[in-house]
Amino acid sequence: MTPRMQRTFGFGAFAAFVVFVAVLPSFVSDFKAREYSYVAIYLIALLGLNILTGYTGQISLGHGAFMAVGGYTTAILMAGNEQYGGPFSGGLKDLWTLPIAGLVAGLVGLAFGIPALRLSGLYLALATFAIAVAMPSTVKRFEEFTGGGSGIQLFGTPELTGSIANVNVLGRSLTPNDWMYYLAWSIALVLFAGAWLILRGRTGRAFRAVRDSETAAVSSGVSLARYKTLAFGISAAYAGVAGGLFAIASAFVNPDTFPIALSIFLLVGVVVGGLGGLSGLVFGAIFVAFLPLWAQGQDLGSLLPNRIIEETQKPGGPAIVYGVVLILLMFVLPNGVGGLFRRIGQLLSSRRYSRSD
Amino acid sequence: MRRPSALVIALAAALVAALPAAFAGSSADPGISSTTILVGGTSPLTGPAAAYASVARGAKAYFDSINAKGGVSKRKIEYRIVDDAYNPATTVQAVRRLVEQDKVFAVFNTLGTEANLAIRDYLNQSKVPHLFAASGATTWGRDAAKYPWTIGFQPSYAAEGLVYGQYIAKAKKKAKVAVLFQNDDYGKDLLASLKLGLGRSGSKVVAAEPYQVTSPDVGSQIAKLKASGASVLCVFATPTFAIQAYVFANRLGWKPLIINNAVSGTSNIMLLASEGGKNKLVEGSISTTVLKDPTDPRWNNDPGMKLYRSLMGKYADGENINDVYHVYGMAVGYETVSLLKRLGANPTRAGLMKAARSMTSAANPFLLPGISVKTGKGDNFPIQQGQLQRWTKGRWVPFGGLWVSKRN
Repeated sequence: MTPRMQRTFGFGAFAAFVVFVAVLPSFVSDFKAREYSYVAIYLIALLGLNILTGYTGQISLGHGAFMAVGGYTTAILMAGNEQYGGPFSGGLKDLWTLPIAGLVAGLVGLAFGIPALRLSGLYLALATFAIAVAMPSTVKRFEEFTGGGSGIQLFGTPELTGSIANVNVLGRSLTPNDWMYYLAWSIALVLFAGAWLILRGRTGRAFRAVRDSETAAVSSGVSLARYKTLAFGISAAYAGVAGGLFAIASAFVNPDTFPIALSIFLLVGVVVGGLGGLSGLVFGAIFVAFLPLWAQGQDLGSLLPNRIIEETQKPGGPAIVYGVVLILLMFVLPNGVGGLFRRIGQLLSSRRYSRSD
Repeated sequence: MRRPSALVIALAAALVAALPAAFAGSSADPGISSTTILVGGTSPLTGPAAAYASVARGAKAYFDSINAKGGVSKRKIEYRIVDDAYNPATTVQAVRRLVEQDKVFAVFNTLGTEANLAIRDYLNQSKVPHLFAASGATTWGRDAAKYPWTIGFQPSYAAEGLVYGQYIAKAKKKAKVAVLFQNDDYGKDLLASLKLGLGRSGSKVVAAEPYQVTSPDVGSQIAKLKASGASVLCVFATPTFAIQAYVFANRLGWKPLIINNAVSGTSNIMLLASEGGKNKLVEGSISTTVLKDPTDPRWNNDPGMKLYRSLMGKYADGENINDVYHVYGMAVGYETVSLLKRLGANPTRAGLMKAARSMTSAANPFLLPGISVKTGKGDNFPIQQGQLQRWTKGRWVPFGGLWVSKRN
């Protein structure tokens, strides 16, 4: 395939995916729509993480913490508090908190990007891991805002759109679950396109240059400091929006909502989806959202024999299944699902050019 | 568009065909079929509180035994257990799944204070029974008017903390008390009521150190508490952290009287804390319980414990029979079955809650003799009694009579 054909094919695939996402709720049960909205939420977080890790080469084990920043921003703004004064005293409608959640998390990411400049590789991974570890205690420290360990309950508040009742959007009545689905997926698709735009141009080239060789990047006039902090900022902003949506979808946040394991699952999701590619991340997000459920034998009752399902119900069972599946997947798809897509693309183009007839 | 497309016609036809079916469906509440009653709940099968997985397993074993005898009103009880790894956000997703996709009759025996808080508003607004929350937070009983679909089971942490405070006030003169507590509602409930129980006795809390569920260990907290010079250590922690408290205190050479909260005070956990007899600190520990302990020779010929052992053998073979959390699970399973029996042939969700608000069960075979499970007008706490006990030579020995919580 020529690059131009690839581009056309890419647009076509994206358009087809948008249509697929739009009609999917009509074919699945109402509740499934809610579960699929979590796929969109994880997709947003993975897009952000991939900009940082896959494209700029900076490992982050702390993206769960950036999600927490976004989640708490949304929850605190929605809950409102008279002490905040101004427009924040009464509680903000959920939708309007999302840009703020992205902004706040993005600023935190930028701020973190500056000290992270001095670190690379494993040391950076450890430093980012530290924010994930410190997050729960930090949240409990500011109990008057965050509600401490009990967290913030949003279900049934007027700020949450569609707790129980249907939601009217453009003259159509959506169930709360469908509403959540369309909200999460519209934001995810817009941010997907946004990531693509960022990465295809000058900024994306600079990110990749930093990833491939810092020395070469600097000697070609790419400012390491600027692009590394920028990558951190964008990446954290994506995670912040994902965290905000997560808070809305769960209608609840507390420090255990964003555990250390979440940061690790996100990194796993990026690797499964394929580092340095965007389309594979959808599968990474499916992996993050559903594997913990599948590892318990949920939804698979008709596919697997009862004996195996019973084993997964034992203590520690789900964790073992999760690990085994992950190892197998890395054997079969060492470059993730994105890598598989690229392989297929290469096969198609090489066949085209090597044909003798 | 001049004429409707075939698709629209087909859809309209399908809708018309589906309408009568939707309205004609049986009047039974969700989760009730002619042969089954479906209940569900989350349990930490993995994660920091995985020791509590046996609570759900015990209840399941009890339901299995009832099903083997034909079930309740010819319906088998199907109990779906979902892992939430003690993460409330996962609990929310799992419970919505149980309610909206699996269509359970009731959400049952969900474990953890935070987990239950996270789902309470949702269940109450959806009018789904939130039955026997496995947590001792006081709010389940205290706020029953606001949350009519939620009910707890075990004695409240507030009652338990009060009992410890009163015990210290009576047994020790001017004791300095140090407290290790989980940094959430559960830990804080216990701490606040402990202080209340100490009252003006002269004994007082001189240091209180919180820990996070997500933290790896409580070593630094124990070191700080030791530095306070306290002679009594209250451990208001879940099993993993409670065991660590014993181990770290012993390594530091600190020898306080240890009061271990009921949620970690089971004999299987105490034996782990004793490090195979090497850790002498466990000796003389104080705790409280409502359950019969399967390792206690007092119950060798007790019908309840005989039943427990035979059910464990038949329905939970290979699991640790000495794990007291199984007994808790069976006790709560027993009460659920008697509620369902009272509902008769046509159980409804509203009927279930009505029955749960008027329980009078005097002889749960898995609870200590004399402990009754009752609720009624103005009383929304199913169990309000307990037994103080002292760890003596490798097992719990009860002392004093049953305590009764008069407050709340």
